[in-house]
Amino acid sequence: MANAFVAAFEILSFGAIIVLIVLGLGIIASMMGIFNFAQGEFVLLGAYITYLAYAKGMPIWAGMVAAPFVVGALGFVLEALIIRRFYAAPIVAMLGTYALGLIIRESVRGLIGGFYLTVPEPIGGSIDIGAMHISAWRFTIIVITLLVMGGCYLLLSRTSFGLRVRATLENPSLARASGISTPLIYGATFAFGAALAGLAGALIVPVFSLFADLGLRFLIQGFVAVMVGGVGSFIGPVAGAGVIGTLSAALPWVMAPVVADVLVFVLAIVFIKFRPQGLIAGKGV
Amino acid sequence: MGAAKQAVQVEVGDEMDVPVIDHAPAERGTARKILPIVEGVVLVAALLAPLVLQDYLTVFATRVIILALFALSFDLVWGYAGIMSFGQALFFGSAGYGVALLARDLDITNIVLVLPAGTLIGLTFALLLGGFLLLGRHPSSVIFVSLGTLTGSYAADRLARGWYYLGGQNGIPSIAPMSLGTYEFTEGPAFYYLVLGILVVVYLLCRFLVRSQFGLALAGLRENEQRIAFFGYKAQHLKAIIFTIGGAVAGLAGSLYAFHEGFVWPNMVGVVVSTQVVLYVLFGGSGTLIGAVIGTVIVEGVSFWLSDNYRDVWPIILGLLLLLVILFRPLGLISFVLGERERVGSFGAKPKEKRNAAP
Repeated sequence: MANAFVAAFEILSFGAIIVLIVLGLGIIASMMGIFNFAQGEFVLLGAYITYLAYAKGMPIWAGMVAAPFVVGALGFVLEALIIRRFYAAPIVAMLGTYALGLIIRESVRGLIGGFYLTVPEPIGGSIDIGAMHISAWRFTIIVITLLVMGGCYLLLSRTSFGLRVRATLENPSLARASGISTPLIYGATFAFGAALAGLAGALIVPVFSLFADLGLRFLIQGFVAVMVGGVGSFIGPVAGAGVIGTLSAALPWVMAPVVADVLVFVLAIVFIKFRPQGLIAGKGV
Repeated sequence: MGAAKQAVQVEVGDEMDVPVIDHAPAERGTARKILPIVEGVVLVAALLAPLVLQDYLTVFATRVIILALFALSFDLVWGYAGIMSFGQALFFGSAGYGVALLARDLDITNIVLVLPAGTLIGLTFALLLGGFLLLGRHPSSVIFVSLGTLTGSYAADRLARGWYYLGGQNGIPSIAPMSLGTYEFTEGPAFYYLVLGILVVVYLLCRFLVRSQFGLALAGLRENEQRIAFFGYKAQHLKAIIFTIGGAVAGLAGSLYAFHEGFVWPNMVGVVVSTQVVLYVLFGGSGTLIGAVIGTVIVEGVSFWLSDNYRDVWPIILGLLLLLVILFRPLGLISFVLGERERVGSFGAKPKEKRNAAP
């Protein structure tokens, strides 16, 4: 019983991490129709900023709060300077963002060297429920993920900004005709997606420690999750991330980890092949 | 890009009586000759290289030639058919692993067996993956194909890392050298000329292929898939065929690479090598075979040259250059010397005859 509970918690917390990373990726993919290869590096940057704050002697949570804003601002600038030119051609966008990611990743690698740097958990210890111990920090990640998801949902469905975003997503030319500045919306959305990645990086760095290929590790899982969930809505990628995250964390409990790892990808690709629109088709929130 | 459309238009022109837009004859006359010159210069430079290079540089040059062969396979798939294969290393690496296993477990190192075996492995994997990703009732989106190949390569990487039989993290070390009878191909000028010969043969075959009717249909696919489908071509089949051919060439390159380096390791099937080959072709110029070769030589050459002193900075510079090329020179460095028309070449009747025929 206790074992099963620990397993369920592990699966849930890993799923939450994947959801957090995929949120930004999914928002950018749905809005602009481009798959941002630099998203993993935005995660890495968020982690790096948190580490930097820690190394400079500031409280870790300050770094975690700063990370999404700094990465979001960077995303806004990059969108205006570079990404904007790629909207017409999704493949070129992949290559361009890949190049961007390469620059960011190698810069960070140059800054931290080839090391694995650890950042302590801002909320240490464990929560004890009877005989079971679960990591307090992982529990916090789950809570924050839920809050961020709820926040995103409310932002997109209840605010006038969300309405503009959805209008731009649904029909860009009509949105422009109605007086919505679509370039600004695109810029803001890209920045928002980048900020979410930065937040994800900041939150997961105590769990995975900081190394240059941190973002790359999640990038492909994120892409697959977005495709499985379905591009074009907010809830699709989240659902996909939930499925992929749960599967990747759950399958190693029942079979050899190597086989499980590969099986998740194979299953996902087969699923997308036969259901290209993803789990949740259609546009909207 | 426009050139391919124009070439398609020239084809249709005969039937539909659409006026054919013609360049001035003089301009075409000069523009036609650059590609063979570039190819000739590269070939001569490659032939002379071992004579002037030191031994360790010849070994390096051999590796570059093998990688150029690999780049050629990606260029066929992306530059001509417009299929973004982000997992080309899957075929490269699996062939490498295949021949490494042949050498380790069955003691087969004979060149007339291992090279066809490697090619066949690449071809089979490409046929399976390409058939699955590309064929089917609904045409697959470009995004799906590129992410599918990327995922395939990543999954293979994870599998190779975790599978004890394949050597796990360390790969398969100390592969016996390739042999022909009692002669063993070790690193050096002999190996260099062997791979150069193979590259030239494959290059000529590819050149013949892309300048054929089939190649024209592929270029049309890249420019406007729907239009090609309306002409009655089976677009999905064409894509699957070229993907398979690309996989076979990558397999050949991978088996040569495994024997040249003497070991294979998980990165060889993974995302790192897959994206590296994309860099080569984008730099050199996709859609021209020679562009892929030149791109490989430049990227590998400069990184070899810089990696001594600027090891940390080089990948950043590479990323910046790549970004600049994508933004401002989408056709690659070769487009500085090569005109648009030459990327596609001439098809069907010679332009001269056409001018006489058209009143």
